[in-house]
Amino acid sequence: MLDETTVARVLAEAVSGGGEWAEIFVEDKVSSALRLEDSRVEDVASGTDRGAGVRVVAGERAGYAYTNLLTESSLLDAARAARAGLDSAPGTVADMRRVSGPTHPVERRPEEVDPAEKVEALHAADDAARSSGAAVRQVVCTYGDVRQRVLIASSDGIWATDDRTRVRFSVNVVAARDGVIATGQKSPGHSGGFELLEVRPAAEIAGKAAATALVMLDAESSPAGELPVVLAPGAGGVLIHEACGHGLEADTLVKEASVYANRRGERFGSESVTIVDDGTQPGAWGSFGVDDEGTIASRTVLFDHGVLVGHISDRRAARRIGAAPTSNGRRQSYAHHPIVRMSNTDLLPGPDDPDEILRSIERGIYAASFAGGEVNPATGNFVFGMNEAYMILNGELAHPIKGATLIGNGPEVLARIDAVGADFDRWEGVCGKDGQHAPVTTGMPTVLLGRMTVGGTET
Amino acid sequence: VSESLLDVAASLVDRAEGSEQLEAFLVHFKTNEVRVFNGEVDALSSAEPRGAGVRIVQGHRVGFAYTTDLTADGLSAVVSRARANSRFASEDEAVGLAEGWDARPPDVDGMFDPEWSSVTADERVGFALELDRATKSVDARIRTVEDAVLADSSSEVALATTTGIAGSYLASDAWCYSIAIAAEGDDTEVGFEFDLATSLRGLDVEETARRSARRALDVLGAHKIPSARMPVVFDRYTAGQFLGVIAGVLTGEAVQKGRSLFAGRLGDSVASAKLTLIDDGRIEGAPGSSPWDAEGTPSGRTEVIRSGELVSYLYDLTSARRDGRASTGNASRAGFKSGPGPAPTNLAFESTGESPDELLRRAGRALLVQDFHGVHSGVNPISGDFSVGATGMLIDGGEIVHPVKEVTIAAPMLDILARIEAVATDRRWLPFGGSLGGATTLVSEMTVAGS
Repeated sequence: MLDETTVARVLAEAVSGGGEWAEIFVEDKVSSALRLEDSRVEDVASGTDRGAGVRVVAGERAGYAYTNLLTESSLLDAARAARAGLDSAPGTVADMRRVSGPTHPVERRPEEVDPAEKVEALHAADDAARSSGAAVRQVVCTYGDVRQRVLIASSDGIWATDDRTRVRFSVNVVAARDGVIATGQKSPGHSGGFELLEVRPAAEIAGKAAATALVMLDAESSPAGELPVVLAPGAGGVLIHEACGHGLEADTLVKEASVYANRRGERFGSESVTIVDDGTQPGAWGSFGVDDEGTIASRTVLFDHGVLVGHISDRRAARRIGAAPTSNGRRQSYAHHPIVRMSNTDLLPGPDDPDEILRSIERGIYAASFAGGEVNPATGNFVFGMNEAYMILNGELAHPIKGATLIGNGPEVLARIDAVGADFDRWEGVCGKDGQHAPVTTGMPTVLLGRMTVGGTET
Repeated sequence: VSESLLDVAASLVDRAEGSEQLEAFLVHFKTNEVRVFNGEVDALSSAEPRGAGVRIVQGHRVGFAYTTDLTADGLSAVVSRARANSRFASEDEAVGLAEGWDARPPDVDGMFDPEWSSVTADERVGFALELDRATKSVDARIRTVEDAVLADSSSEVALATTTGIAGSYLASDAWCYSIAIAAEGDDTEVGFEFDLATSLRGLDVEETARRSARRALDVLGAHKIPSARMPVVFDRYTAGQFLGVIAGVLTGEAVQKGRSLFAGRLGDSVASAKLTLIDDGRIEGAPGSSPWDAEGTPSGRTEVIRSGELVSYLYDLTSARRDGRASTGNASRAGFKSGPGPAPTNLAFESTGESPDELLRRAGRALLVQDFHGVHSGVNPISGDFSVGATGMLIDGGEIVHPVKEVTIAAPMLDILARIEAVATDRRWLPFGGSLGGATTLVSEMTVAGS
C-alpha cells in the first residue's frame, strides 16, 4: 500500500515534536451493498475508499489527522497536523518488525461474485418471507460485503498488515393482522466470503425472520415482577456484551466510570461462569488478524470460573494502567481514532442440559431475542427490551409475549446465573461507541437467570 | 467558489455513454476537532477528505458507486461500477434524475463564513480549554466536565448531471458542547448544552458553559412525583427531539413504505388547529439551508401541517413521482458515499406568539421536561406510541416547585400533537439529524407516571 521509506518519513515527521509514539493506519476498502424493499432491488451500490490516518500520542493527549490522498506530501501534512502544538525533542523511528495474525479463509471472494447472484439471493429471501404467511406486509433484505486491507506502522517498530473480508445478509419482516404489527429480524454475518449464503441460505434466513414476525402477532402482554428468565443461546449474549463487556473496557476503567473498577480478583458468579473476548475465532464476524493498532488478535479471559481476572484494552489505555494491550484497539476507518472495543465476547458453555434447564422452570420467561437497551456503565444498571419472548409454564415453552423488558444490573446478572447450558450459539451485531461502529459478536449457551425483574419502565 | 470540484463533476458527466443519465455529486470537506477532559487536551483531530458519488440511470434502473480516488483512472472506474450496478437494480418508473436548471437557483445567505479559514489551531484549543474551565467554574458542585468539545468544518459541494445541472456551493459550521456532572450528597446529575454557528467566532463559550452547568445543577435533588395526568412543557431541547421523531415519518418515502403513522392521513386533522409546521430550506443562517437539494432540485418552503391539517409530505424525486407530485426539494445525503433519500431541511412549528415566560405561567401546575431517556426504545413512529423517561422540573404558575426525575411520560403521538396549546417565540435550530426548530411547547395533558 505504501513503501517503507515513505512510511518512515511520515512517522519521523509525526514524532519530530516529541511524544511517546506515532502511528500511521492505511486502509484500502472496497465494498458492495444491495437492498431490496417492496420486492424491488432499490439500491445497488459499491464503494472504493482509500486513506490514511496519522496519530501522535503524547502524554494524555492524542493528535489525529487523516487524508484520503495517499501522496507523500499529503501524508506529511497529516503528520504535521497530528503533532500540532508539540515542541519537545524529536523522537526516533525504530526498525520495523513485520507482524501478521491469524487469517480467516475466504472461499468465494465477494468482489468476484456476479452481482446477479447477490440479486438472486435478495429475491429468494423476499419470496421465502412473503410465502411464509398472508400476514407478511413488508420485507426488507440487505446484502453487504466489504474487503478491507490495512497497514499499521508505528514509530516503535510495528509493521502490521491485515486483509479482512466480511459478508452480512439481513432480513427484516413486518407482519400485520387485525391492527397488530409485529416484526422479525435475522442478520447473520461472518469474516469470510460469499460462502456465507451456502452455510446460511438466504431463504432460510428470511424464513426464520418471517416466522418470528408471525409468531409475535399472537403475543400476549408480558407479566411484570420477579421471575426466572431463561436466555436463548446466542441472542442473550447481548446482555453479556452490554452489561459486562463495556464495563471491562480499559478506557472506562481508567476514568473509574465502571462498576468493575478496582475489583479484580473478586467473585461475581458461580464456577460455571467463564467469559472471554476472543478476536481469533476462525471466521467469526468480530474477528481479525491484527487489531487496528497492529496488536495480534488474542483471547482474553475476563471472568474465570466466576472470578474477575481481566479487562480489554487498546495501546493508550494499556499504557495508562501499566499493562500490555489486549488487541482491542479498533476503529471504524482511517477517519477515526482507535478506541477500546470488544471483538467476539462469549460466555463459554457449561455443564447443564438445556432441556433440563427449561423443565426446571414452573413459571418464567424465555428470552429468544433482545431489541437493544440502555446501560449506565458507572452503575451497571440496564434496561433491555425483548423483541421475541415466550412464557415458560410447567417446564415448557408456552405463548409468545410482548412488551417484556429485563431490568437489572451487570454484576447482578452474573450473580444470578444459576445454570449454564452445554449448547452454544453466536449473535452477530454492530456495536456503537463514541460515534463509531464495529462488527462484534456475542456468544452464549442457554442460561438460567434464577430471578430477574421483568416488566416495563412505567410506574 | 473554487472551480475545481465542479470541473471534476463535469468530467464525470462527460464519461456518460449513449442514452444513460449520469449524476456526479462531490464533496470536499475540511474538519477540525478538539476534545478536552480534565483541563487537558485529550484528542485533537483534523482532516480533509474528498470524494465522488455517481448515479447512473438507464432504462429506469439506477446504480450507485463512490470513490475517494479522484484521479482520471479512479473517475473512470467509479463510472464503470455505477453503470454495472445499474444493470442489477429493479426497473422502477419512478427513478430518474432531476430536470436541468433554466437558471442557477439563487444562493442562500448565511451558509458560509469566510472567516472560517482564518481560525487557527491555537484558537480552537484555547476555546475548548476555556469551555472546559468555564463549565467547571460555574459552581463548586460541578464535579467534572465529562467532555468539552469544539469542532468546525467547511464543505464544498458540487453537483452535475447529464440533464443540465451544474453547480457548487460552500458551507461552514462550528459547534461546541460540554457535558457537566454536578454532585451534591450522593446525588449525581448530568447536564448538556451546545452552540452552533458558521464559524468559531460566532460561538458563545460563556453562555454554553453556564447553561451546561445549570442543566445539571438545576436537577440536583430531583425526585419522583406522584403519577398523574397533567400539563407537560417541552423545553427547546426536548421539543426539538420530539419534532425529530415526527420528522422521520413525514417523508413520502416513509409513508409509501408503511413506516409512518401519517400514512393515509393527507387532508386529515392530525394536530391542534393552532399548529402550522413548515419545512424551509432557504432560511438565512439555519443549518439545514442550501440553494438546491442533494439531487439538484431548488430548495423551497413546504407547508406540512396547516392549522392542524396534514397538507403535504416531504419528497425527493423518486418518492414524489410515486405519488404523482413534484419534489419538495427534500433530497438529502449523508455525504458522497450514499445516494439521496428524503429528509427535512429546516423543520419547525410556527410560533403561536407567547413568550416562554407567558407560556410557563399559562401551563399552571405542570412538568417542564428538559431531558428524555430511552427515546430509541420507547417511541414507535409507526404505531405512534410515545413513552419515555423524563427529567425536568415541577412548575406552578411559572415558578419552579422542585426538580423531577425517574418519571415516565406517555401519550400517543397524535394525541400530543392534538394537545399542543402553545409554541413559544424562543425557537432555536437543533442539528438532530437534520435541522429542527426547538421552541418551548405546552402540551395540555400527558400521563406522567411516577411514584
